[in-house]
Formats: sequence, structure tokens, C-alpha cells
Amino acid sequence: MGWGDRLAKVYIALIILFIYLPVFFMIALSFKSGAKVSFPIEGLTLDWYIKPPTGYEYSAYISIMHDKNFFTALNNSLFVSIVTALLTCLLVTTTALALRKRIVGRDLLFYLFILGFIVPGVALGLGVTFMFRLFGIESSLLAVAAILTVYTVPFGLILMMSRFDPELATYEYAASVLKASPLSVFRRITLPLIIFEVISAAIIGFLLSWGEVIRTQFVMKGTGTLATYIKNELSINPITPKWFAAGTIIAIVAFIGLAIFAYIMSRRVR
Amino acid sequence: MSAPQLKMGLIDRVAKYSRYLLLLPGFVLLLLFLLIPLSMIVGISFFERFTIAGPETFTLKNYIAFFTSPQMPTILLNTFGMSLLACFISFVLGYPMAYFLVFRVKSARARFFIVSLLLVPFLIDWSVRVVAWLPILGESGIINYALMSLGVIKEPLELLFGRSALLIIWPQTYLLWMIFPSYLALTRIDPDIINAAKVLKAPPHRVFLDVTFRLSLPGVVMGFIFVFVSALGDYITPALWAGGIQTLGLSVANYAANFVWPYAAALSTILVVIALLVLYVLLKVVDIKKLVY
Amino acid sequence: MGKALETKELVKWYGKEVLALNKVTFDVDAGDFFVIIGPSGCGKSTLLKIIAGILDYDSGKLYINGVDMKNVPSYKRDVSMMLENYALFPHMNVFDNVAFGLRMLGKDKSEIEKEVKEALKLVGLAGLEKRMPLELSGGQRQRVALARALVINPSILLLDEPLSHVDYRLQRKLMEDLKEIHRKVGNTFILTTHVQEHALSLADTVMVMNTGVIEQIGKPEEVYNNPATVFAARFVGEINLFSAQIKSWDGELCYLNTEIGELKANPKNKNALPSGDKVAYAVRPERVKIGEEARLCDNKIEAKLVSYYYFGHYMEYVFQAGGNTKIKVSVPTEKVGNLTLGSTYLLGWSAKDALLIEKPCMIEGLDIEEVIYGK
Repeated sequence: MGWGDRLAKVYIALIILFIYLPVFFMIALSFKSGAKVSFPIEGLTLDWYIKPPTGYEYSAYISIMHDKNFFTALNNSLFVSIVTALLTCLLVTTTALALRKRIVGRDLLFYLFILGFIVPGVALGLGVTFMFRLFGIESSLLAVAAILTVYTVPFGLILMMSRFDPELATYEYAASVLKASPLSVFRRITLPLIIFEVISAAIIGFLLSWGEVIRTQFVMKGTGTLATYIKNELSINPITPKWFAAGTIIAIVAFIGLAIFAYIMSRRVR
Repeated sequence: MSAPQLKMGLIDRVAKYSRYLLLLPGFVLLLLFLLIPLSMIVGISFFERFTIAGPETFTLKNYIAFFTSPQMPTILLNTFGMSLLACFISFVLGYPMAYFLVFRVKSARARFFIVSLLLVPFLIDWSVRVVAWLPILGESGIINYALMSLGVIKEPLELLFGRSALLIIWPQTYLLWMIFPSYLALTRIDPDIINAAKVLKAPPHRVFLDVTFRLSLPGVVMGFIFVFVSALGDYITPALWAGGIQTLGLSVANYAANFVWPYAAALSTILVVIALLVLYVLLKVVDIKKLVY
Repeated sequence: MGKALETKELVKWYGKEVLALNKVTFDVDAGDFFVIIGPSGCGKSTLLKIIAGILDYDSGKLYINGVDMKNVPSYKRDVSMMLENYALFPHMNVFDNVAFGLRMLGKDKSEIEKEVKEALKLVGLAGLEKRMPLELSGGQRQRVALARALVINPSILLLDEPLSHVDYRLQRKLMEDLKEIHRKVGNTFILTTHVQEHALSLADTVMVMNTGVIEQIGKPEEVYNNPATVFAARFVGEINLFSAQIKSWDGELCYLNTEIGELKANPKNKNALPSGDKVAYAVRPERVKIGEEARLCDNKIEAKLVSYYYFGHYMEYVFQAGGNTKIKVSVPTEKVGNLTLGSTYLLGWSAKDALLIEKPCMIEGLDIEEVIYGK
């Protein structure tokens, strides 16, 4: 093994450490018995996860599994992210399929879609607030999903367009010469060949909207999504290990989800 | 073969114009949730008031007020400088990662494993991830604890406050934004081009600078744009974790929270213009379309 | 015999700059093996895609079996096509690839099975039904593509450069097979190539194309022996070309001034050319004699041997005469004498074997010398 490979290994390990360091502390401190999120750990407990509430605590001291607002936010997040994922995969697929052909103003359109990400979140949030105000529209979870889709589409678009098989059009031509109608071409050739990218776009839409705070915060009313709810709780109330418990639960769910995804992937790749 | 109807049916007509029809859904979304809101920001920034009835009285006052305010240089410097610095830190940390992943991790399985490993923490709630730095860098975190017990410092360092907080939180939040496009660009390089450079007697550092890096530049530029505009549009980190560092994004949020709509709109417009300017300059350097077409 | 295909003044633009087809008019007889030959970028592939219906044309007429094809989508046309690079569907195995067209036509299962088996047998791939395209060799892929296009039994089969991505030996094999399959199935085949050898040996009819225009259509031996333009002459077979000016006529015999001196020609049907006209004087390398044999010829030139190429069954010598004029001479291997590089020899050919070509090419406004010496 050359020095280059060794350097690479060390570097990759360091970066992973940098990313995981707070995660380790988060997991460790979520089992801490005291209310301060710092060392030393006086005792270990599952209180921050499952302790039934007495009814008199501040929200920061209610265990995460008994925090009703947490589950409301979780529901909102699931709704927003699933809608965003579906919208993203639909719009990315249609747009990418349209933009791969030579059409008038292709570059302009591409940059216009990229603009959805370029416009700073705080500015877009304000603009949407104005629009709702002027037209008297009530904000809703659906509106949040739509705004987040504007933000996720560029990522999906870049990924999908860069991964398109350059031969895709040729396969479609071959199919139509072999008597396949436009619908058959799409169903039997185009879709099977890009299905992997379509699913990727949906996953990107889900993940990006799941963590988004800035745009959501601006447009959201009420409890909000998980990300904005936790952010608001952390900014108003004392920071307790309860939120580390929440983070740990999310990490475990994410890890399981990723493992399942990886398993499906590896079966597909063979 | 029987040829009953040789003319175009409805399906054929739709298929013929499919490229335009396919653009329609995306364009409708853009129009409703990007173009209209954007034009509203720009429009309202030129008015004195924005009431339920609509904007009133045309004025340039908002812009004049900002550019003549004493905080203007600090705000612009914070906004621009901190975002740019976050980009560079992300690049320094992220690009080698992408490079090593593509060129040094040979097995596809290992690469997939590492990429997945990178992904997990980013699925954890962002605010929790930021707060999780507290036990490390906070006032009573282990760094301060260690330094104080070693006698290096007497007072705890405010690592998670002010500008240094931005430079820790932003790169760690947006690191994937840099790694992902760089990785994409690097995988698109034909290995034979790099081999050709080696065969033509280029020393390793020239191979890297003149060939590998040059060819991955669209990805790097894309990463810069991602990180830069993300930082630009983030008002929460400066407000919550950096103790109110004055940035444009934070000002927009503050004025909007106090319903000073036109002034917030003017600041937003300036923010959008900065984002577009940086985008323009970066696109002059490298065409990111190369990444996708 | 009916016409399988007729085109009238087909025009195709790519954007506003590139004119890919410039009023292309030609017919193809039903059952013909029709080969379109031309350099890359001449529009032959565009033409095929227009016939298949995967490209639109801008103006003109296109008839397949007498039916106007304007606005007829690809899948409703009675044609099939083997695309360049074959375009085998990567997510389907060999059987599904070949069966694709039959399924689209709505044939029933047992019929599809039978026809796919037959088609694969025809191209020599029986037993490979379960393979995926990625697991096939280049030659096998080519055959799957051929079977896939053939199996739907179109009245016209279009083959876009089918011979260009495989090695020489496979090319020869496939050429033989194509000819045999064509004889068996009797459909109209239209094939494009940029290799003259394919055109001459496969075709019933050859069409020579040059950037959007037709240079010549005819039987292979017609095009070879009587090229209509300098371009066609250069593109089909090896040929020596000299820029020449007609000096005088002596009955059937024409005297011309060229850069290597006065030459004689005895052209058929070209008596009308007036003196003073600029023409191309052409002679095929195999018609040129060397040494003793040359003494009896009408045209004689001293030339220096500058290089030679061995092709197995024949030898090609390159001589230099006059200032810088190269003359190629090909000699069957068994007749090769002992020539030394750098020595001067007498070359000669009969006036009957010389060709006079007055038209440089079908593109307007090009000077004849440009075409003779150009690219």
C-alpha cells in the first residue's frame, strides 16, 4: 500500500470522525440523568426517552415519547416530506426528460430551475409570505411541500440529468421503429431504464425536505415540521438531554432505513 | 403488416410535443412558488408600505436607508465574508474526501459503505446536531475543561459563539453539499485522460492540477454555489447559535418579524442580487452545465 | 417491379446552419439490396432515420409502398431499422429483445416463440436466448440487432452502418450472411456504409452521397466503370485523377494537356466535350502497366517508384511523375516483378481505359481542381 492510500485512509477516517463526533456525544448524553448537556455524566437513565410525565413539567423536561407536540410535528414532517418526495420525483423526471432534448431555451430553463436553489431561503420565504398575504391564502402543509419542492428539484435534476444514459434516446428510437407506440415506449423502455434515477429523486426530495428549516420556518404556522419544532423548542427553552434522545431515535430510524435501502440496492446491483 | 390508420392519432400528437408538455408541471411550480414570490420581493422593496390592500407609495427610501446606515459595511462583510469562508472550509475538508473516495477507494462496496456512513448524521435533526457540539465546544464542554485543567486558559473560550460558531456549524452542516457535486464531477472523468497525462510524463502534482482538478471544476463550482447560497440564506444559525451576528439574512428575518415588509423586501432583493452575482462570476469561470448535459 | 420507397426533393436542416439533405430524390425497387455510400456527415444516416420516421424532414415527399409518410409516426410505418451501435435494450435478454417488435404487433405467445427461434437460427445465435446484451460479444450483439429488426418482417429493412463496429473477419462473415438472408427473405434492404468494398460487393444498387446530395445511383459495376462525378470516382474504388484540359479531337480519340504531359483518352459518349474544357482525367490503378508491357500503350510516362503497399492478393505501387504527381498502380501478386524503390520505370495505359469526368460533384459552385486535389 502506497503512502497515498494510507493518507486517503487517515483522511477519510478524520472526516468521518469530524461528522460523527457530535453524534457520539449526543447518544452518550441522551442517557444522562441530569438536565445539563455537559460532562460529567452523573448517572445513566432512560428518563429522557420514556418517563411518564407528571403533568407539571415544562416541555423541555417531558420525555420524548410522551411529548405530544413532538408526534404532531413528526406527522407534519412525514406528510410534508412524502408529498415533497412525490412532487420532486414527478417534476424532476418530467423536466429532465424534456431538457435532454434540444429545445428552444434549454439553457435558460435549466438555470431557471437551478434558481430554485440559488435564491436564498430567507428571501424566498419572505416572497411566499408576501404572496400569501396579497392573495389572502392561508399557509398549509401542502404549501410548505410546494416551496420545499422548488428547493429540492434542482438537486434531483442535476443528479438525474448527469446520470442519464446518453443512449436513452437511441433505445427509444429503436423501440418505436420496432412498432412500439409512444405509450409503450415510455412504459417498456424509458421508465425501466431510468427507474433508479426516479427513485433517487424521490429520496433526495424526502431527505432535503426533512431537514429543511429556513423556508419551512418562514411559511409554517403552528407546530410545524419536526425540524422547525425542535429548533423552536431549543431556542426558547433550556437545552436538555431530551433532544439528544430525540436525535438518537431519529439516528436509529435513519440507520435502519439506510440499511434497508442499501440491502435493496445491493440486490439490484447483484 | 396491416396498416389501418396511418395518420397521427391523439397519442402521437401528444408524443410529438411531449418535450414541451413535459416542461409544463415543473414550470407551473416555478411560476407559483419561485417567480411570483421573487417578483413580489423586488416589487414591494420599492414601496413605503405593504398592507393587506397591497403596496402603497413608490419610493427608493428602503435602499437608500440601507446603504447609508452605519451597520451596512459590517453586515455586508459578515454576510459575504462568513459565507465565503464557510465555502473554503467546506472545500478544504470536502474535496480531498471526494477525491480519495473516487481514486483511492477501489472497491465499490467500500465506497458505498463510506458514502452511507456520511449520510446517516445528516438525517439527524439539524438543530440537535448543532446543539450536540455544546458538550464539546461549549462553555463547559470538554475542550474548555481540558484547556482549563491544563492551565492553558483561565476563562472558558467562547468557541460556540460569534463568528467561530458560524465557521464550525456551517461547514459541518453543508459538508455533503461540497462532497456530493465534487464526487459526481470526479467520477465523470475518463480515467484514460488521467493515464494519458501520466504517460506524457506529467509529474503527479501537474496531473492533479492540470487534469484532474481542472476537469472536476464544474463540480467544485457547484459545491461552492451550494454552500455559499445555503449560508447566505440561513438566518437561524447567526441568530440562535452565533449570538446575533449581523448578517443580511438575519436582518431580513428581524424586519419581517416586526412587519417592516418593504425594508425586509429591499434587503432580500440585495441578498438575491448577491447570490446571482456570485453565481454569475462562478459560471464565468466554469460552466456547470457540463456536469449534466 | 413496384417501388418500395420513393423520395421527392427531401430537405432536412439541422438548425439554421447545417443542410443535411438538399433536395434528395431517388427510388428504391421492391426487393432491392440498396446501399448508400458516402463519407461520414454526408447525410446517409439522417436519410435512414427520416425513412424510419425517427426524424422529421422539412420539405419534400416520402412514399413507402406508395403511401405518403408525412406525419406518419415511426411505429405505424412498414419499416424496421437496425441502428448504429445496435441499441439493444440493456434491461432485456436476447429473447425479449428479439420478441419486442412481435409483442408490439400483438402476436400471440406461441407464434412469438416460434418466430424468435427462427430469427435467431437465421442469424446463427440459437441457444443464446437467455443472455443479456452486456454478456454478448460485438459480433453477437450485431446479430441480435439484425434478428430483432428482421423478425417483424418489414417491407423495408434499414441498416445503419451495420458493419462498422466489428473486426474485419466478422465484417466479411456478416456481409455473406446479409446477402444470403436478403436472398431468402426477399424484403427490401437499405444499408449505409462508408466503406466502398461493402457497397460494391453487397449492393444490387449503389447510391453515392456527398454532403446532402446524391452523386450517382447505379449498379455497382456502372458506378465503378463509369463514375458520374469526380467525387463518385474518388469514393468508389481507387483511382488516379489528373486535372486536364481538352486540346483536340481526332475522331474518337481525345488529346489532353495535363500536369504530367499530353495524354490520350478514348471516352465513350463524351464526344460532345468542346476543346478547351477543363475535365478530370482518370485511370484505375489496375489498368496501368509497368515496364515492357507499357511500351505498347497509347499513354506512356516515365515515373519514379516512391513506395509500395502489399495487400496479399495484389501489390499497390506508388509512382511519382512530373512535378509532384502520384500515380498508383496495382498489380496482382503473381505478376509482381522485381522493382526497386527510387528507380524510374515506364508506365503506360490504353486510351480506352482512361475516363473523362467533366463534373466535379453535384454540389454547385465547386472548381474541378479543388475536388481532384482537395480533401
